[in-house]
Amino acid sequence: MATQHSRAAARLMISPAVILLLGWMLIPLGMTIYFSFLRYNLLMPGTEAWAGFENYSYFLTDPAFFAAIWNTLFLVGGVLLITVVGGILLALLLDQPFWGQGIVRLLVIAPFFVMPTVSALVWKNMFMNPVNGLFAFLADAIGMQPVDFFAEIPLLSIILIVAWGWLPFATLILLTAMQSLDGEQLEASEMDGAGAVSRFFHIVLPHLARAITVVILIQTIFLLSIFAEILVTTNGGPGTATTNLTFLVYAESLLRFDVGTGSAGGVVAVILANIVAIFLMRMIGKNLDA
Amino acid sequence: MGRITLDKITKSFGDVQVIPPLDLTIEDGEFVVFVGPSGCGKSTLLRLIAGLEDVSSGEIRIDGKNATETPPAKRGLAMVFQSYALYPHMSVRKNIAFPLRMAGMDQKEQDRRIDNAAKVLNLSDYLDRRPGQLSGGQRQRVAIGRAIVREPAAFLFDEPLSNLDAALRVGMRLEISELHNRLETTMIYVTHDQVEAMTMADKIVVLRAGLIEQVGSPLDLYKHPRNLFVAGFIGSPTMNLIAGEPARAYDATTIGVRPEHMALSTESGKWTGKVGVAEHLGSDTFLHIHETGLAETITVRADGEVTLRHGDTVHLTPVEDKIHRFDGEGMRIS
Ligand SMILES: Nc1ncnc2c1ncn2[C@@H]1O[C@H](COP(=O)(O)OP(=O)(O)OP(=O)(O)O)[C@@H](O)[C@H]1O
Ligand SMILES: [Mg+2]
Repeated sequence: MATQHSRAAARLMISPAVILLLGWMLIPLGMTIYFSFLRYNLLMPGTEAWAGFENYSYFLTDPAFFAAIWNTLFLVGGVLLITVVGGILLALLLDQPFWGQGIVRLLVIAPFFVMPTVSALVWKNMFMNPVNGLFAFLADAIGMQPVDFFAEIPLLSIILIVAWGWLPFATLILLTAMQSLDGEQLEASEMDGAGAVSRFFHIVLPHLARAITVVILIQTIFLLSIFAEILVTTNGGPGTATTNLTFLVYAESLLRFDVGTGSAGGVVAVILANIVAIFLMRMIGKNLDA
Repeated sequence: MGRITLDKITKSFGDVQVIPPLDLTIEDGEFVVFVGPSGCGKSTLLRLIAGLEDVSSGEIRIDGKNATETPPAKRGLAMVFQSYALYPHMSVRKNIAFPLRMAGMDQKEQDRRIDNAAKVLNLSDYLDRRPGQLSGGQRQRVAIGRAIVREPAAFLFDEPLSNLDAALRVGMRLEISELHNRLETTMIYVTHDQVEAMTMADKIVVLRAGLIEQVGSPLDLYKHPRNLFVAGFIGSPTMNLIAGEPARAYDATTIGVRPEHMALSTESGKWTGKVGVAEHLGSDTFLHIHETGLAETITVRADGEVTLRHGDTVHLTPVEDKIHRFDGEGMRIS
């Protein structure tokens, strides 16, 4: 009896939080879905009318849409690749005992505390600027033609900037995972005749599998909605070269003032994000059970 | 072949010398047990032999060849760790196969050796399981399996049974002894449990603070402990050590009498005391005798049938030719 009472009480107690969270989520979602079926342009207020699936067909047949999908995938994939591989290498390095370890670890974590807009601006103006940037200066110094990053390799530049911001996160999680590896296992494998490379692939990497899964899951969720870095550097251009789904939705609703199409894009983005999430869960979620 | 010679090896961690210069020879096929209290450097010594730690000075020879600088994998030794150190993401079969795979052995030979080891160790039914799905004793056997497939020159065990419960420990102790009889390979075994040392060893090395106190066969150490430390360490229950007036009667600073060498009588005897706790084991009874004026407690082994009760007065007489005598430095007087 007591447990039934306390269960009921517990439900009552957490209900405000649950209702608040549900409302927080469901009301905007409901409104977005509602708007996506309206012809709703901010430049012509008061002319809202039922549009059926017109917004959706418009959004889905827009050539920018496919570009945005590819860009989103490249962006997420590229950043994941760099952060996971880079994170493992950095974690390996930081796991070694060396002088000044504490300071170096602190420095490695620092980028995580820099706001995305600030870091993107710093990269854009200090490093990647084709005239005044550090990279241009370095290229000049060795007699090479400076690269105009945001004109020639815009998506790659954004990937670099975002990866720089997320590298510390991956490094931190992988480093803690690496430190939890039982030293006797490494010694046993050493006695079993495994060299440094085999030890890494047969012992360390499998041990890190779970942590890598966590890094990929968490980062994917955040990387699907990259926005600030694009806004302050390329504004989605040149053309649609750096427009991802998030930026496309923004462009539709706030640059073209077409809230209807923007909302339709938002709904599409939500559906796609869920598909990706289900995929990820299926594919690597089983790593988390073992 | 597995003859291991340690020639004046030392080991220091920073300024602390954990192993002072130490000489030891382990013959081929011998079962040698390193025993000593916690922190005396048993594990360190084993790890020096394995090559997991570098010696600070001195030389290690395996089969006559200098192996001081040889990396662990090339020494031809296999080690079983206290925590088993199995690879959790590999099946039992893969675990056992790992050293063979690293050596690049062909699949047929690998399978033959694995099946052989599995049969010897009763692991055949578990080959496809993960270590996480095994009991402590089974994990221990997998760890041993991983060692024997390599057919090493010597096995190194670091307290392999300390994570097992008492009953299982006795069983595994027998299995390891049996394995040694069958393989006839050198085994070096570290423990702080003197019962394990006594029951398994051909040769016991008693260590204290990195120093070898005595080397010898179990019975040798039991009958002729070289000093007080060994006398007190080997044997269970421990030897009764008596100092002062009673010892002077024997021209010694301290005398030692094992519990089974103390005759018990209710009528007359050399010393007198009162019965304290009686531990009935069925076959024997260990009586703790107080108020003897010899030592805090004197332990006596008596018959399983003894009917003495708490508080009874008893008389004790040592078996004269079984008394161990020690001088002021704690060394044996023979
Ligand atoms: N890596 C190390 N750095 C510094 N000191 C160490 C290190 N490893 C061991 N020691 C010291 O060396 C001494 C011997 O340690 P060791 O592990 O060999 O003891 P042990 O006999 O195996 O004890 P136990 O029975 O508790 O396992 C201890 O005093 C320990 O503090
Ligand atoms: Mg130890």
